[in-house]
Amino acid sequence: MKEPETMTPRERVVNAIHFKKVDVLPWYESYYPDAVLRWLSEGLPAHKTMKIEWKLRPGRIMINYPMFAGFDLYSFFGTTNLWGLVVPVDEGPIPRFKQMKIGETERYEEYIMETGAIARRLKTKYWGYTMPQFVDFPVKDMKTWEHYKKRLNPEDPRRYPADWEKDAYIKIFEEYQEGSTRLGITGFYGFGAELMGIPNFNLAFYKNPELISEMASYWEYFTIERIRDAVETLKDRIDMVFWWEDMASKHGPNISPKLYKEFLLPHYKKVTEFLNKCEINRILMDSDGNLNPILDLVIEAGITGTWPLEVNSGMDVREVRKKYGNKLFLGGNLDKREIAKGGEALRNEIDSKLPVMKQSGGYIAGLDHTVPLDIGLERFKEYADYLKKNLPLS
Amino acid sequence: MKDILDKIAHNFANLENSNQISKLVNEALEEQIPVFEILEKGLRKGLEEVGRKFEAKQYFLAELLYAASIMEEVMTILRPRLKSETIKKEGLIVLGTVRGDIHDIGKNIFKMLAEAAGFEIHDLGVDVEPEKFTEMVKEKKPNVLGLSALLTTTIPEMRIVIEELKKAGLRDKVKVLLGGNAVTEEFRKEIGADAAVDDAVKGVELCKEWMSE
Repeated sequence: MKEPETMTPRERVVNAIHFKKVDVLPWYESYYPDAVLRWLSEGLPAHKTMKIEWKLRPGRIMINYPMFAGFDLYSFFGTTNLWGLVVPVDEGPIPRFKQMKIGETERYEEYIMETGAIARRLKTKYWGYTMPQFVDFPVKDMKTWEHYKKRLNPEDPRRYPADWEKDAYIKIFEEYQEGSTRLGITGFYGFGAELMGIPNFNLAFYKNPELISEMASYWEYFTIERIRDAVETLKDRIDMVFWWEDMASKHGPNISPKLYKEFLLPHYKKVTEFLNKCEINRILMDSDGNLNPILDLVIEAGITGTWPLEVNSGMDVREVRKKYGNKLFLGGNLDKREIAKGGEALRNEIDSKLPVMKQSGGYIAGLDHTVPLDIGLERFKEYADYLKKNLPLS
Repeated sequence: MKDILDKIAHNFANLENSNQISKLVNEALEEQIPVFEILEKGLRKGLEEVGRKFEAKQYFLAELLYAASIMEEVMTILRPRLKSETIKKEGLIVLGTVRGDIHDIGKNIFKMLAEAAGFEIHDLGVDVEPEKFTEMVKEKKPNVLGLSALLTTTIPEMRIVIEELKKAGLRDKVKVLLGGNAVTEEFRKEIGADAAVDDAVKGVELCKEWMSE
């Protein structure tokens, strides 16, 4: 790895998550599409943020064609693209449920989603977005789980891209420097909650522990076998595993440390041991909420980082660092509510945390959540400008 | 009599298997213990301990949901034996998620716990128009109006509901309780609600306190 002053964005992230020196602290944000729509209406220049890529034109015809490929806010604002280059292994049900509208009223639309859940969405103006209300889930008991499992065959060849040619992918990963390279895994809590809904999944730990044990065992098998080829091919060229979980609220984790230890920990250890064997040891758990009561167990499970450390739920990056040292690399924790206020509140929030974390290392700066919809473009620019001034270590 | 009620409370507080608790409740009924006593001195005492453990971070969401489901199960035994006039309700709560917000997990957990604690609930669901809240307060005359919202973009609706209550001359007839991840004490004061809570257990405790005033 190069010395400071000449680092690429990828090197900054990799050094930071390994507690090594960086020239400039990496900075990561994620954006709701609805926030981008709001910012466009407030003057975000589309011509400087929209990406166009040449691909085979949809319609299954043989012509390369320029097509819109989303927004690149990373280059525009100067954030690091922590998503970066993603290992392209599909985790969803195969075949997918056909997403379609199954009902509509004046105010709502009801859809069957790709996971098989049924969700109701408000018909709203663009930035009045709310998450959908899930009204039904595909897994309810052992019978429906056994049925659903048929869509979770880890060895289904469709999990890998049609052009999965190992040497070509190794080369692509070797060359990529715009951010970290990462592999996505949904932790067992996130997995179960998506398939059963949060209340039913949580209740099943008590009312149907056999189902939870069976699902957790299968999750372990499914996860390891799904990623085996990619992980054994790319090994430590995968900079980080992004372990999506979302298992906590303001009060604390949704399940107790006792349940975590009994039902999750043994399986988590198996997955992280497999990753470690393949020289991948940076595993970032993404969960909102107050994780403090289970952080010891999270570390024991083999997780080595956490993001976004929601302040509103009582998380404080300085306290977590003090308690756990370099057992966890950390990201986020700049209080979205203070940033939304702007001015002195915004500057105080950054000043109270950044110097400490620059000194201790192992930190990626950023908000404590996906940028909320109530932060307008001007406020975000104010935040970006002030933060960027303070990211260099010299 | 005290022994068996203590056992019910103890087993419930420790979230023992619901079959065991049902068995104890049936034993209590065989001993001719009044249903009201079983509810108050057994089950609700146990539920209060569950709430205390939740606040002490010994229990979490899964435990709360399980406690509510035990209560529901046991009530299927007790309910047919209760004549409606003998049911002492703690009070009436009208509840709903505000307009533009269709999150309901927190609201539903509060509803289950409040019901288990003896409150009658009139649940208006999600995405409720401010006028609907006012109409229900006028019609049902609840002790508490519970407003839920998850998002920073939808909590301003709570202010509108309170303004509507004022316009209808109903604001001082009902306690207004705010719930949801985004509500803060600062916001509560600003809009003139009676309380704001960030978890269901605190909300139910507060409603009980209000009823005893």
